[in-house]
Amino acid sequence: MANQLVEGVTPIDEATSRSLHVRGVDKSFGGVRALQGCTFDVTARKITALIGPNGSGKTTAFNCISGFYVPDKGSVMLGDRNISGWTPSRIVHQRVARTFQITRVFKRMSVLENMVVPVRRTGLKAMFWDGIQGNERDRAEKLLEFVGLLRFIDDHAGTLSFGQQKLLELAAALMAEPQIMLLDEPSGGLNPIMIDRLAGYIRELNALGVTFLIVEHNMGFVMRLADDVVVLHHGSVISQGRPAEVRADPAVLEAYLGN
Amino acid sequence: MVPLVILVALPFNGLNGFLLDLLYFTFTYAAMSVGWNIIGGYTGYISLANLGFFGLGSYVAGLMLTHLGWPILLTSPLVGLLCALVAAAVGWVALRTRGPSFVIVTLAFTFIVQFLALNLKDITGGSAGLYLPLLSLDPLLRGDLFYYYMLGVLVLSIAVAIGIRRSRFGLGLIAIREDEGKAEGSGINTSLFKIVAFMISAWFAAVAGAVHAQYLNYIDPDLAFELIIMLNMIVMTLLGSRGTVWGPVLGAFLLFPLQSYLVYWLPSTIAGEVHLALLGVVLVLVARFMPNGLLVTAQELISRRPPPRLETVAVASGEPAQGRVRRNG
Repeated sequence: MANQLVEGVTPIDEATSRSLHVRGVDKSFGGVRALQGCTFDVTARKITALIGPNGSGKTTAFNCISGFYVPDKGSVMLGDRNISGWTPSRIVHQRVARTFQITRVFKRMSVLENMVVPVRRTGLKAMFWDGIQGNERDRAEKLLEFVGLLRFIDDHAGTLSFGQQKLLELAAALMAEPQIMLLDEPSGGLNPIMIDRLAGYIRELNALGVTFLIVEHNMGFVMRLADDVVVLHHGSVISQGRPAEVRADPAVLEAYLGN
Repeated sequence: MVPLVILVALPFNGLNGFLLDLLYFTFTYAAMSVGWNIIGGYTGYISLANLGFFGLGSYVAGLMLTHLGWPILLTSPLVGLLCALVAAAVGWVALRTRGPSFVIVTLAFTFIVQFLALNLKDITGGSAGLYLPLLSLDPLLRGDLFYYYMLGVLVLSIAVAIGIRRSRFGLGLIAIREDEGKAEGSGINTSLFKIVAFMISAWFAAVAGAVHAQYLNYIDPDLAFELIIMLNMIVMTLLGSRGTVWGPVLGAFLLFPLQSYLVYWLPSTIAGEVHLALLGVVLVLVARFMPNGLLVTAQELISRRPPPRLETVAVASGEPAQGRVRRNG
């Protein structure tokens, strides 16, 4: 399973893999300090989970990494490059793709169109190239087959079930050839069978060298999938380490359960 | 292709002046509506700046003709390009806003250009307007020339709209309309895409404005920035179907001849008011009963048509088939 080739995904060379480093990031909204000196690492080619109680700042951290928010202070480093303040599209072009907490697909576009929208290349040629022909279509079909949605290729994305839309979002993000994938609550709203399938896809992609940062509430999903776990509480990291270590950390237990 | 051949052949078959003018105006509105649809339909940004670019195109072309002697029918693509560059600057600011704010900003641009046309009297002639030299052409050929010129612009606009719709750029514009944040998170440089769409849209409005200035041989701030031009562009696009290639063309070919015949047949005392009221009625009817426009509504009706009747039929052996078999007809 671990070395199985996923058609449509090019294995990522170890030499080109980059880690993410979040360094002392602050982010406030009015009087609410969503992140305070948030610092953690996402190691290349590993699966890192970002967990914490509701309102702990997980999605804010995600948005700061993916460019949707500009940190008030601190930096987000991709390898040795500071990407804080970059636009989301520019960050995607650095091969960092994300999905959203509330699944967002282009509902009135076909499944195939949803697949070819994500772009990694820029420039006039890429812009005015026919997106639904040749190599792009082949890759889209292979990735749709990978997540079991090929038969819906010409359907409107809005007609897919919630779980299928989640898988479509994952497959579409893969079209941008990401080295790092940020998944915001990927198992939210999915049934146990679908969650198992999703975990399988993540493992297969990770085996090809894709790095994952996953925000998740489903502790079972996190503990069996993640190599590292980062725990946020009140916008700061209170624990980081192997799943077993984090699970046994009193600070984590206190954050989740109270005194 | 057949409609194009018919339109090309029409003037050879003794098309009278009224019909020639009617079709010239229809082509003009169709081309401008197709252009507006690129920003207003594909991208979902309701722009009222296209009227500003129409007027700006008229004045720039007129000034080039009067000061430099450059014939408008040759310079109109260049005029379009200059106005597209202005659109890039305007879009860089205006496209940071969305929804009603964008509508207001673009309307403000149109008013600013009109205000300048009215007040820079030494350059534009102010409210007295600008008289342009007549084309030195046989009057009979003149009508044909404008007819074919705008037919060409219309064909170009449709070709561009088809090319955009098929391209990754077009997909990006539609993605922006559907969910701009998600589009940006998919790697689409939404600012760049929107500005390019705005520029293309402005190019067609400016070219139409330039040609229209030569058609009238006269420009003034009321004619060049007449709000009805913008309303027509939008209502035609909404009627035909916003966001489709052919919707704006259909809307223009239905609405403009209808308006013209109304004005032609009704007493002149009420024609103007009825013509305006018709636009309002069409807008209300489309918004209430056909928000997706004629083309998309027709497509939806066809796709919702009940499936062919199901009935039991006998197979070749004479035994009834297992279950029910779909029969066409």
